Amino acid sequence: MAPADQSVAPSASREFLANLRHLPRTVKDAWFRLGHSPVSEREESQATFHNLFLHIHSVRVHVRSLAPRLTMGLGIISVSSFIILCISGVLLMVYYKPSTTLAYDSIKDLHYVVFTGRFIRNIHRWSAHVMVAAVFLHMARVFYTASYKKPREFNWLVGLGLLVLTLALSFTGYLLPYDQLAYWAITIGSNIANSPRELTDAVGVTPWFNPGGSQRRLLLGADYVGEDALIRFYVLHVFILPTILITLLGVHFWRVRKDGGLARPEDPMGGTAEWGGKLHKVFEPLKTKTYGLMAVVKGRRATVNRGPENTLMSWPHLFWAELAVFMLTVAIVLILAFHFDAPLKELANPLVPENPAKAPWYFLGLQELVSYSAFMGGLIIPMIAWIGLALIPFLDQQPGGEGVWFGSKGEKLVALQSFFFGLVAVVGLLAFTVNFGWLRSWFPSIHQLWIIFINPGSILVLLYMAWSLWVLKRRNSIRHAAVALFTCFLVGFSVLTYFATVHRGPNWIFYWWPSQWPMH
Amino acid sequence: MPDVTGKNPSRLEPIEIPRRSFLSIAALGSFFTAIGMALAGAARLPGPAVLPGPVRRFKIGFPEEFTVGSEARFEEANFFVFRDSEGIYAISGVCTHLGCSVARLPEGYACPCHGSRFESKGEVTRGPAPRALPWLEVGRAADGQLVVYADSEVAKGTRFRV
Amino acid sequence: MNDPSRKYRWLLLGMSLLTIGYLIAAAVRENFLGEWYRVQQEFRTILEAKATDERGKAIARDFRIELKQVSVPRLKVVDRCVSCHNGIDDPRMTTVPAPHAVHPGEILKYHPVDRFGCTICHQGQGAATSLHDAMGVDVAWDYPLLDRNLTEASCLACHDVEKLPQQQVALVLEGKKLYQEKSCGACHRLNGRGGTLGPALDNEGAKTKHQLILTNLAPPHTTWNWHQAHFRDPGGIVPGSQMKNPGLSAQQILALTVFMLAQRLRDVPESYLAPDKLEEKVRRLHPQPENGEQVYHQYCFACHDEGSYGRWDKTFNRFIPAIRGTSLQATATRAYLEVQVAQGRPGTQMPAWGKQAGGLQQAEIESLLNYLQPSNGNRPLKLVSHAPQVPPRGDSNRGAALFIAYCAGCHGIAGLHGIAPEIGNSVFQQAASDEFIVATIRNGRKGTAMPSFQPQVPGALAFSDTDLGDLLAFVRELGRHQTGTSGAPSQSSQSTPSRSNEAPR
Repeated sequence: MAPADQSVAPSASREFLANLRHLPRTVKDAWFRLGHSPVSEREESQATFHNLFLHIHSVRVHVRSLAPRLTMGLGIISVSSFIILCISGVLLMVYYKPSTTLAYDSIKDLHYVVFTGRFIRNIHRWSAHVMVAAVFLHMARVFYTASYKKPREFNWLVGLGLLVLTLALSFTGYLLPYDQLAYWAITIGSNIANSPRELTDAVGVTPWFNPGGSQRRLLLGADYVGEDALIRFYVLHVFILPTILITLLGVHFWRVRKDGGLARPEDPMGGTAEWGGKLHKVFEPLKTKTYGLMAVVKGRRATVNRGPENTLMSWPHLFWAELAVFMLTVAIVLILAFHFDAPLKELANPLVPENPAKAPWYFLGLQELVSYSAFMGGLIIPMIAWIGLALIPFLDQQPGGEGVWFGSKGEKLVALQSFFFGLVAVVGLLAFTVNFGWLRSWFPSIHQLWIIFINPGSILVLLYMAWSLWVLKRRNSIRHAAVALFTCFLVGFSVLTYFATVHRGPNWIFYWWPSQWPMH
Repeated sequence: MPDVTGKNPSRLEPIEIPRRSFLSIAALGSFFTAIGMALAGAARLPGPAVLPGPVRRFKIGFPEEFTVGSEARFEEANFFVFRDSEGIYAISGVCTHLGCSVARLPEGYACPCHGSRFESKGEVTRGPAPRALPWLEVGRAADGQLVVYADSEVAKGTRFRV
Repeated sequence: MNDPSRKYRWLLLGMSLLTIGYLIAAAVRENFLGEWYRVQQEFRTILEAKATDERGKAIARDFRIELKQVSVPRLKVVDRCVSCHNGIDDPRMTTVPAPHAVHPGEILKYHPVDRFGCTICHQGQGAATSLHDAMGVDVAWDYPLLDRNLTEASCLACHDVEKLPQQQVALVLEGKKLYQEKSCGACHRLNGRGGTLGPALDNEGAKTKHQLILTNLAPPHTTWNWHQAHFRDPGGIVPGSQMKNPGLSAQQILALTVFMLAQRLRDVPESYLAPDKLEEKVRRLHPQPENGEQVYHQYCFACHDEGSYGRWDKTFNRFIPAIRGTSLQATATRAYLEVQVAQGRPGTQMPAWGKQAGGLQQAEIESLLNYLQPSNGNRPLKLVSHAPQVPPRGDSNRGAALFIAYCAGCHGIAGLHGIAPEIGNSVFQQAASDEFIVATIRNGRKGTAMPSFQPQVPGALAFSDTDLGDLLAFVRELGRHQTGTSGAPSQSSQSTPSRSNEAPR
């Protein structure tokens, strides 16, 4: 017994000491499995799929997907700004107090005394702007490269959901400082939610059926913007909406991966093709062999039956690209935040409306439409536009052109023509409305139903739809009709946004420049 | 080890992995520096730059209200004020262990939370408290009232002479 | 292109370096470029220069460069002014330059900074940490820093102005006096008393610049600058304003401006109120009745002047009746006058002055009537001797013709909207007796544009008794026509602009 004990005890203590001595290395090995930077493609693959955060990427990525001119990095910019928003937002939450009496003061504190508080608030503000812009542009990119087509229809829908969430996050964040801008913008916004009342009033059913009123009450928790609205918006802004967005973002990434990476034209099969500056023999599937994991994976997969030609290892190439675009976003946001302070008006004052009470820029196009009819411009037209966008991949099912800007024949021309048509239509309508007014200027006692359904906004939508149908008939291509409609909407949205930003002043009156606004 | 010399264009041959270039190291290094600096900056944010509360300075009344040998407790401000033949002094009622309010006993003070005991001048006699109850600065306001500066500690035995 | 990710690595390097650069710049700006940082460094050298004794040395040693603030939760005040004004409570800082100097006067002795903060008196943005933002003039802030000579307006938040040393609140007192002298109460309501032609002034000092029309105001756009410019030329600041130019000296304008700023309903905790403030509040609820002359000069004088003649008012575009003229004194019954005062002339510039309207107590109306009609008789007045009889009401159609020919030119076709007093007005019709109307037509009103239609001068136009009877019949019909439509005469729309010096939004 004793000898055995003696023989074990010293070696255990020696081992203990050895382990202690090797602690730094063993901890490092436990953490970094590979222990050194990958030296083979196999190790590079491992680096990718052994890491929780990287494994959402495929191990190899197509060279086209890495080309900046295809994606312009817009998706990465969107998610990068969202990451910045999450971090800066959490930091702001340390000081922010969601109460009507304290919120404004806490923002002032952030601005004036909290270490880096002002900078972080600026960063939060600017990355929100960057995110909205990037999400819009990302959508346009996906559309113009026809990347919504089969099998990516579902991901297009997820993306549209993300667009709505992005805007909702921005809208809910707008109230939180509880300044004049916030108060009146949310008052307007919540009354847009109430705008179905225009219709129910006009047909006289409001006392029994008032969806607008209940919608607004659900949003505000009251019939006015106050404490209850603030706490609701806060919870939506910091918890509910981000949680949904993160979830959907996961689905979005997952679908990108499952749908075979970014959309691209099919690579040639067999023979030779150029890649990496040299001619290579290209993979050719054998007739007798099945390369798809058909038993496991349902549906068509873009990578099945494809060789690794024209692909690169994700580690390090894709990660360099992602890191670089992330840092690009960081730098842009930082520069903006350093030079331009996020605005903060006077404390919210229900007695004195802000004039003009403008929403953030990306809602100003809507605000222009709302100035014709809240119900039409604030609810129906955005809803039509959104549903239209959602239906695109299901109405346009002809394959072709995926992953190439204006990929199908004649598409660029249609886009150009639609651009001019859309521009002329929206500018013409705006000029007409500014100069001559609309129905109510001519027939003051006209019934509200006419105002709701016949206004510059709905006319514009009808014009665009008509143009798109004409393109459909003339060009005999659903894709072209879709391009026509999408381009028109994009132009209309941009012009309305620009118009409301620059040319609308106090009392929503037309001015050539903000410098001409009367002093208040 | 895989063959990393590969000049063979065949896809079956391992492709040469370029060595870490200076560019890579510089890019990664600057990236981590930037992120580190940003996080360090952000980490400063939660530390309050100014303390939000009001100045803890309490007027306790005129010296005549305190007769020699008397003592008074000010609960809101949480200190005890005594007057003896040498002058007026104030002792904090916050236990130096973990901040509970102490109770006055005939022979001193007792902390209800973890059993620390202090004698009547504040010295620890029992329990985990690491140091004596602090004596607070006593002064006089412009109107002649006594003022206790609850945030300003003075050496034990310092009395305000009336 | 052997290395497809090379450009991305360059991008990463560039962007990272750019980020590092901006982070360093931000850190420097944050830590060393704050205005208060430089000011406190200066103050430290001053402290060190003044550290001659033991105590001074201790103060200099303990001085730390850091943001400082005064927090007074009960007043909802967090003021960081003390981050730059480090020496306000240090009596040694008498000869040092501006931000470091001790607060002038004795005032801090009674208002210690850590109990009151700064902005409760000075206004301005207490949260700010730079002079520009703290002054709050060009930034989004409702209550910018008051000019030094206006600060006394804030005393009224807690004090009864009458109980303060006069030299402390000289401007407020002068403004209060001017407010009464210039008869501002004729058009403006304050503490529940006054006319309705202009806006009520109870919370005038709380107005922000956004509630005022700034279009015609030269910068700086502060409320007090607005008030001063407005007192100089009301119509030039508020287009279409009916407010008369009060014709004041610069000093008087300043005094009235301070008085306006002092009219602010603030929620100050009771423990902060001077005891006399509570008394003042009680006094305000139950005011001592004033005598007739005081009432007249505060609430009537602006329009009726001294009242012995019929004044032409070019803003109102009408004659203002001579309410202290001998003719009216001789003709009107006391009951008639009382109704006119208590109920006014709805639809004209003359408001009602009864307790529920203009806020005059019954006793005050009584003494006002005594002042208007010193001969005082609760008697039906003796009509002028040579025509004692009131003719019976006659043919109103003939009366209408007469009215159109001789009266409508001034009194308006229906006795409304003319340039002379409205005799079609419902209140007039209720109050005036036939005797009163006939006597007025016969005798006219001395000192006004109303001629006598039964003059002693031979050859002048004179109404016969029949004419008078017909006219009386028609005038009485005016009342009946009027009852349906009273309330919304065009005069009220004319008076709107002066009531809203709030910016239209």
